[in-house]
Amino acid sequence: MNAPLQGRTHIRLSDADNVTTLLDDGIDADVLADGTAIDVGIPFGHKVAIRAIAAGETVRKYGVVIGTATQPIRLGEHVHVHNCR
Amino acid sequence: MQPTFNGFPRTNGRFGIRNHVLVLSTVALTNRLAELIAAAVPESLPVLGEFMRGLRGPDAGVQQTVLDGIVRHANVGGALLLAHDEVAAEALRARYAELGKPLAVQAFMDANGIQDAIERGRHALQQVYRQTEQVSRVQAPLGALTVALECGGSDATSGLCANPTIGRFVDRLIAAGGSAIVSETAEFIGAEHVIRARAETDAIAEAILARLAAREDMMKADGADYRGVNPTAENIAAGLTTLVEKSMGAVAKTGSTPFRGCLGFAESPATTGLHFMDTPFFSPMSITGMVAAGAQLTLFGIGVFNPSGNPLAPTLKVCGNPHTVEVWNDAVDLDVSALVRGETDLEQTGLRLGEMVIAVAGGVRTKTERWREGQVMFPKTTAPL
Repeated sequence: MNAPLQGRTHIRLSDADNVTTLLDDGIDADVLADGTAIDVGIPFGHKVAIRAIAAGETVRKYGVVIGTATQPIRLGEHVHVHNCR
Repeated sequence: MQPTFNGFPRTNGRFGIRNHVLVLSTVALTNRLAELIAAAVPESLPVLGEFMRGLRGPDAGVQQTVLDGIVRHANVGGALLLAHDEVAAEALRARYAELGKPLAVQAFMDANGIQDAIERGRHALQQVYRQTEQVSRVQAPLGALTVALECGGSDATSGLCANPTIGRFVDRLIAAGGSAIVSETAEFIGAEHVIRARAETDAIAEAILARLAAREDMMKADGADYRGVNPTAENIAAGLTTLVEKSMGAVAKTGSTPFRGCLGFAESPATTGLHFMDTPFFSPMSITGMVAAGAQLTLFGIGVFNPSGNPLAPTLKVCGNPHTVEVWNDAVDLDVSALVRGETDLEQTGLRLGEMVIAVAGGVRTKTERWREGQVMFPKTTAPL
């Protein structure tokens, strides 16, 4: 029997951030360490939405605006060049 | 109570964190001689650059500024300067006559063969060494430090762990009256809004932004559209989505205080606080610029491992990538990967870095020093004659 999957480790530097950065290789897990449900398969160093983000809304990381959502982003969804620029 | 470190007092009021006895080759023609002499006096530190003849226009000035910066550096207790001939040697003696530190200048062509040159050099160096040894460490305020800020091998942990750890310490250092220099102009492309928001005056913002624009024009002249190709395919694969996201990771090491100056390569800051220096992005070159400007220590944030440093000023490597700190344990000084595991926070890692800076300033050697890693190099804009 496989060991239960652990929640993923991640860092967010500011409470104002609407994404967090995953910093582990446990891409099969579907939950953050704090219990938030996320999509599986998001690689090390990539971002996941920790709130729903509307199309046109700013994406914030390190407490600063790093881009704008180009389509609606669900809570727990991978945030990258396909939905943010 | 203000924090202090134990440093070497210099006649110009500054404090060295090392008391190096240099064998400085002031022209590349004497580089091998410098190595041979230094090998005969183990306490000495050979410093070989690519100092040359035939430089034109501003390049000659930059070379002179770098050479001056090395000789005058607070970490240099004394030096044997090697010149090619007596005319060059006399010019060096005149230039540094009032320096107030033990110096000897030797002309290669005065010797009768290589072996004689080594013997003469060894004799002069031993005298310099004996005089340099007379200085002892005394308590110095933390604010007497100028740190160079560098990052390399950047990955997703850099902007979230190592660089903001450095930023926390830099804020504390500057609050204590210290200084910091950040360079690598191209890294700031995409962070123009930060420069505008954090420059102390509009004139400083315009000066820095002009340097950024000049670098971007250089890339355009080479047919490269920096904004069009950044983040690069490699950055995107690593998770970076936008250029702002990439540049902000590097800017995190500057902390949050205002930019108080815009410096040319190797130019010394006129005031305390945070300064921007216009340099190429290649780390050994940008570090040379900041150290020649007076930085006694480099704080170097890494993600994947990145070598390089500077022989004069210790380089302290900070890393938050759990894999890197395990594999490159013999080359990383401060492991902040506990941040990744959520076991600590930036307040704590910033304090830990501060403790380590004080220890290193007081004489504890960094990994880079133990390996004697480091290069001296400076940019040239024009083909030499």
